[in-house]
Amino acid sequence: MDQNITPIINYDMCTQCGQCVELCPENSLELTDMGPAFKIPITCTYCALCEDICPEGAIRAPFLIVWGENH
Amino acid sequence: MIALSLLEKIKPFGSLNPETLKALSAQAFERTFRSGQTLVIEGDPAHYGYFILSGEVRVLRMSREGRVQILARFGPGSPLNIISLISSEGTNRASIEALTQVKTLVLDKASFTKFLATFPDFSILLLQIFAERITHLTNLAASLSLYTVRARLAQFLIELADSPQSSGGWTQDEIAAQIGTVRDVVGRLLREFEAENMIVRDRQKIRLLNRQALLEEAEQEDT
Repeated sequence: MDQNITPIINYDMCTQCGQCVELCPENSLELTDMGPAFKIPITCTYCALCEDICPEGAIRAPFLIVWGENH
Repeated sequence: MIALSLLEKIKPFGSLNPETLKALSAQAFERTFRSGQTLVIEGDPAHYGYFILSGEVRVLRMSREGRVQILARFGPGSPLNIISLISSEGTNRASIEALTQVKTLVLDKASFTKFLATFPDFSILLLQIFAERITHLTNLAASLSLYTVRARLAQFLIELADSPQSSGGWTQDEIAAQIGTVRDVVGRLLREFEAENMIVRDRQKIRLLNRQALLEEAEQEDT
């Protein structure tokens, strides 16, 4: 379901600095033993700020570019 | 060793002579990387060159400030790390990371050098691929001087929406690298396009709403 799609976190690259958790405006992320994880995916608005702040490039928020209806 | 039948499926290899394909089959080996895995680390000694059999990768460098900069992304048929193998520095010029599961054909440096010297059709194939990359960079340089960044982004969005896309999608960093700008500018422009009702962001989808307006935007020259 689209509502549960969140940015992708590469835990091999993550250093668990926690900046994404602190920054998330929806408080969607929490720091776990593995690294940051989305507590409740539907609360993520896919703003991609976590991708922007991550200094390791460990978070990817890819977009699909599509035509809307009646374009 | 790698199956000849697998090599024949790689689009660029269609131009190679049977003897070259046979030699490649004997010398190369296959390696699979999982999504997120690093194929090559910037600055390490360059030992291997790759051809992508399936999947997608991104090429990136670390900036002076320590942040990751995306340079490009490549898909099936693309050679990787070849310039690093043949450059005099002998080190990997950038890091390469798998965006999806990636299957690659791998040649070590000695085998690659031998192929260049022994099989001219192999050398010509690489020259053709690099000529296409240089053409892309030349066109990008031209569009950088001729068109505004808004125009380049509009053109890129139209091209993506019009063509079948990879399953992975495009991040703002990757879009920025493709059109010759930085991520922050892409983010700002997407917000502008949305405010002007040309696009709407629907979670992980960017829906283009007004083809005509985007086409007009794509033709804005930089004065």
